[in-house]
Amino acid sequence: MSDKSKKSEKKKYPLVEVREANLLEDTFDYSLPPRIDFDGPIVEYIDGEAVQFDPQSLKTRDIRITDTTFRDGQQARPPYTIDQMVKIYDLMSKLGGPNGVVRQTEFFLYTKNDRETLDRCRALGHRFPECTGWIRAVKGDFRLVKEAGLKETGMLTSSSDYHIFQKLKMDRKLAMDKYCEVVDAALEASVRPRCHLEDVTRADIDGFVLPFVERVMEMGEQVADELKPKFRLCDTMGFGISFPGASLPRSIPKLIHKFIELGVSSDCLEWHGHNDFHKVHVNGASAWLYGCDACNTTLFGFGERTGNPPLESAIFEYIALKGDLCGIDTRTITELADYMRSIGLPIPDNYPFVGKHFNTTRAGIHAGGLRQDERIYNIFDTESLLGRPPRVAITDKSGADGVAVWVNDFFGLSGEERLNKIKVHRLARWVLDQYEIEGRLTAISDEEMEAKTRELMPEYFDKYIGE
Amino acid sequence: MATVEQRVKNITGRVLHVDPEGIKLEDDFAADLGAESVQSIELVAMFEEEFGIEMDEDQALSVETVDAAVQFITRVCKEQGVEI
Repeated sequence: MSDKSKKSEKKKYPLVEVREANLLEDTFDYSLPPRIDFDGPIVEYIDGEAVQFDPQSLKTRDIRITDTTFRDGQQARPPYTIDQMVKIYDLMSKLGGPNGVVRQTEFFLYTKNDRETLDRCRALGHRFPECTGWIRAVKGDFRLVKEAGLKETGMLTSSSDYHIFQKLKMDRKLAMDKYCEVVDAALEASVRPRCHLEDVTRADIDGFVLPFVERVMEMGEQVADELKPKFRLCDTMGFGISFPGASLPRSIPKLIHKFIELGVSSDCLEWHGHNDFHKVHVNGASAWLYGCDACNTTLFGFGERTGNPPLESAIFEYIALKGDLCGIDTRTITELADYMRSIGLPIPDNYPFVGKHFNTTRAGIHAGGLRQDERIYNIFDTESLLGRPPRVAITDKSGADGVAVWVNDFFGLSGEERLNKIKVHRLARWVLDQYEIEGRLTAISDEEMEAKTRELMPEYFDKYIGE
Repeated sequence: MATVEQRVKNITGRVLHVDPEGIKLEDDFAADLGAESVQSIELVAMFEEEFGIEMDEDQALSVETVDAAVQFITRVCKEQGVEI
């Protein structure tokens, strides 16, 4: 690109004047999360060859969300009660809708409470999410799966030498033999095995992972499709990288391609990430892109250490990729967040989609934009999709614009009825004096604003709120 | 009754805490008289109250000088049938 002939051909970009604003509504249809469109195939060089991935296939592939809120999620917090888990399961089913976008969730099977929870969730009669188990790759544990009557179970098949040598005190052959014994037991009992390749982004891919996968695939050759072994790619320490050109074992595209090259189909592949490097959601979505049909998640990202891909983020990514709600009830995300808070789960105020202030602006200039057209500073129609209209928080930065937005929201005014900045000038003055004269350092609460609105705008208060 | 110009200057002096006698027609509300954002809105609100008119928010806030305010208010009063 640096040679002179290229420079002389530099493309010109003349201004294109338009009569009306081009709001790019094909992509930014306000009623949905913005669509994710692709211009063509993605090329990744693997073992010296250009490999094409087709992102358009996302529209038709049966990509799905799986959940581990009750397994990995519970490893990060005190246990949920049985009632709490049943309630969460019920809401998760409502969220994912009839098409099973939230396809599966997994349960521990070790204690009486674990098993009672599973029974009560299944008793609700929901088709989705399907209930699956989680066990260590130990034959004794498999008994629990059989007793629970589950059709599928995850099993811990740790894949890095950190785990095989340092944790399990085995060598590779012994580990592989032990894992295969449990896979065999599962297939014998007509239970679908899902091998959780723990720490795969730090494993010897050619030296252990692929030989193990190949052997498991051979074991599954004679079984029915619904029993074909699945593989969960566990990015246990969050080392996975989605960048093109990254190397194995950290490269998500290359890792997935290696499995597909061995004959593992996309519907048997699942990504399980951790957020140690703040990459968790994008890595999960990238796994979808490069050929894993399932992205494993937890509600609000709660999981071991830094957590897992947040389920609710995967929901919005799913809608953005499909360009359709696909039966998802997005408002249930707000319901789930409210429920989680009610049982003591902290959700930061600035947490996307559900934080108290996720769509609250404090800057007056942004509030001015919101006042004119909420699309300017709101990601999508958050009122319709989440039951959460955009809001302003009142501080010294709010300006009269922010105060006007607050007042109109409080009075529930829209369109021509909305009060302009001139009508709220006394309230705007009071807000400013709080900081300039009173030396206040905190935001003004809704309760204070309400009291002052009643005092300084009595004619409007009486008209719209009444006594 | 005071002229529109005098009434505009009196209100401007009261809102911006300056001596009305020292306000000139060519003064810019922000650059010369120090009107800040909220004060500009207060000025418009006070003009509305003083003259008993309703002004378009965007048009009113785009007025920059005292003279332009006098002209703008005179025109709005005429349009809304308010005697001045």
